[in-house]
Amino acid sequence: MSCNPYMPVPAILEKVIQETSNIKTFLVRPAKPLVFKAGQFVELTVPGTGEAPFTPSSSPAESEKIELTIMRVGKVTEKLHALKPGAELAVRGPLGQPYPLAKYHGKEILIVGGGVGLAPLRALLFALLEEVDKYKKIIVRYGARTPADIVYRKAVEESWGRKDLDVMITVDKSDADWKGNEGVVTTILGPKKLTCNPGEGVAVVCGPPIMMKFATLEILKLGYAPENIYLSMEKNMSCGIGKCGHCRLGPYYACKDGPVFTYDRVKNLNKIWD
Amino acid sequence: MMYKLDITRLDDFLSAISTGRDVFALEESAGQYHLTRADSWQPGRHTLGAFRQVEPLKTLVFRPREFLGEIGRSRPEAVMPERIVIGVKNCDLSALKIHDHVFLNTEPADPLYREAREKTIIISCDCSAAREVCFCPAVGEQPYPKAGFDINISPTEHGYLVEAGSARGRQLLEKAGKFLAAADDALLKERDRNRRELTRKVCAQAEQNGLACGADLRRAVEKSQGGKIWDDFALDCVECGACNLICCTCHCFLLADGESKNKAFARVKQWDACLYKNFAAVAGGANPRRHRAERLYNRFEKKFSFFPEILGIYACDGCGRCVEACTGKIDIRKVLGRAVHEL
Ligand SMILES: Cc1cc2nc3c(=O)[nH]c(=O)nc-3n(C[C@H](O)[C@H](O)[C@H](O)COP(=O)(O)OP(=O)(O)OC[C@H]3O[C@@H](n4cnc5c(N)ncnc54)[C@H](O)[C@@H]3O)c2cc1C
Ligand code: SF4
Ligand code: SF4
Ligand code: SF4
Ligand code: FES
Repeated sequence: MSCNPYMPVPAILEKVIQETSNIKTFLVRPAKPLVFKAGQFVELTVPGTGEAPFTPSSSPAESEKIELTIMRVGKVTEKLHALKPGAELAVRGPLGQPYPLAKYHGKEILIVGGGVGLAPLRALLFALLEEVDKYKKIIVRYGARTPADIVYRKAVEESWGRKDLDVMITVDKSDADWKGNEGVVTTILGPKKLTCNPGEGVAVVCGPPIMMKFATLEILKLGYAPENIYLSMEKNMSCGIGKCGHCRLGPYYACKDGPVFTYDRVKNLNKIWD
Repeated sequence: MMYKLDITRLDDFLSAISTGRDVFALEESAGQYHLTRADSWQPGRHTLGAFRQVEPLKTLVFRPREFLGEIGRSRPEAVMPERIVIGVKNCDLSALKIHDHVFLNTEPADPLYREAREKTIIISCDCSAAREVCFCPAVGEQPYPKAGFDINISPTEHGYLVEAGSARGRQLLEKAGKFLAAADDALLKERDRNRRELTRKVCAQAEQNGLACGADLRRAVEKSQGGKIWDDFALDCVECGACNLICCTCHCFLLADGESKNKAFARVKQWDACLYKNFAAVAGGANPRRHRAERLYNRFEKKFSFFPEILGIYACDGCGRCVEACTGKIDIRKVLGRAVHEL
């Protein structure tokens, strides 16, 4: 039974980085290298508690260790957040379809993230920066609730100075030290804050459902074609391989046919934002 | 090649082909059949059965709860014995098309399902009567198998008509050759007459219960989305999940973790039900099917829209088990009938 697709490979938790009050990045070393592409996800097991799907936030070029940026929200993630380096975990993957990077070559990429949704987008950003010459321009627009809720804050602030990246962050509610934009993420997608060429570009969106919805509507308004808007559909998942039925989304299984879908494939389906 | 088996030799024939294997066969009790396990075919106790048994056939190949192994250790190689299941009816047999698609023909294959499927020899037979809840012809099926069996047996007044449907079935028939003779035309005609008559009867019965044969159920169900029909029927649903669990085509499950007997962390695969409130809920409280009516509709959408789209068949074969099992007395024939009527 060595190739049972329901069973994970053991992994060791090597390091924990506190990102915000309820988000941590976990550096995990699987017993076997885990080669993934940006957009694919893994099922992470806390032995005895259960497993849950997460998208690696580290560079796809690195397969010995992967990083997962995880928000504490329930059973598995509570347990995970209480763990210390050295703890035994287990991991299954990669699962799902990656971003079709070959299709993005020569184009302008607009990345829109909200909250912990920046995690999978970070892996994408790493992949894009590996071959940055192949893309016309890379734009990042990110929204967090407050300045304290910004994930990878240091890295993000450093990236502000980069010439090959156009990064802007907004917070729903600022504090005394905040010098950036205040308002929901759609406020930095308007013409004053964003110069982009929708006709030649693709937009990639990941975040909480409500943010995904309004960001997508805004991006459509900017003039992006539905088939050029890539959305992460985070449905309830168990098996991750198209068997258990949990993640069904219209005629698809989000785990196997997604989790990334272009908007034209899902726009007519029932309840895509819930 | 069609064979004739003399009425008096059925027990000998079935004993011969099942020796050395675990036998799953039907036993009658209070007008119902139950699928039970034995070491051999037992004349007197076992019967081919006139219609399907209570337990869906899937319990043999997609079991209610399967041990997958301990986390970080390989699963002990427990070898499943070869088994033969006798008396399978067409509804259960066609349900396996769904499970085969999900667990076998879509990568990666499920190793537990594959093993169980390979180790299970299927001896099916024509129905000779129908339960009151049967409606197989209304979903494009019929009360006799056309494919998917190793051996099929058609009972007639003048003997059994026996045919193989696989290489494995042909080998078994060769082994039991001494009980078989070439079938004559008259027997074949008698079988076909029986088949036509029962199909007509089941069709009429479905119609009496609100569901005419030949309706486009896919279109009816898709059109009904969001309609009052679902609110109305959902009033009687108590979310027990019985309709899902008893259904011979439902394939949903959950991977669940806990501690094994050896005090190690282990994982099981167990049946799940989409009528349960949290089936599609995600952390943080979002739930695409928050309301009961949405969950009830989802079950029909999966069966009459999703599977027709991806596989070209309904994921309902008309066995009527959910009609008998439903705590809220929701009758799938009435639901479909109304959806068709409102088209
Ligand atoms: C493809 C994919 C990638 C994801 N990537 C990340 C990530 O990088 N970082 C991150 O913090 N979160 C991510 N999530 C969300 C994460 O999976 C949930 O937060 C996690 O399942 C919560 O588990 P829990 O046991 O702690 O929560 P609980 O509230 O105790 O359990 C939630 C229930 O929902 C189920 N569930 C299944 N799938 C999901 C889902 N998609 N979202 C929420 N609940 C789900 C759980 O199994 C359980 O039944 C991702 C989800 C998906 C589908
Ligand atoms: S539904 Fe059809 S095949 Fe199944 S037992 Fe009834 S009559 Fe036979
Ligand atoms: S939905 Fe009901 S009638 Fe149809 S296959 Fe399932 S249990 Fe049988
Ligand atoms: S069996 Fe009936 S009451 Fe129970 S969940 Fe299904 S429809 Fe609802
Ligand atoms: S998570 Fe099991 S089918 Fe998608």
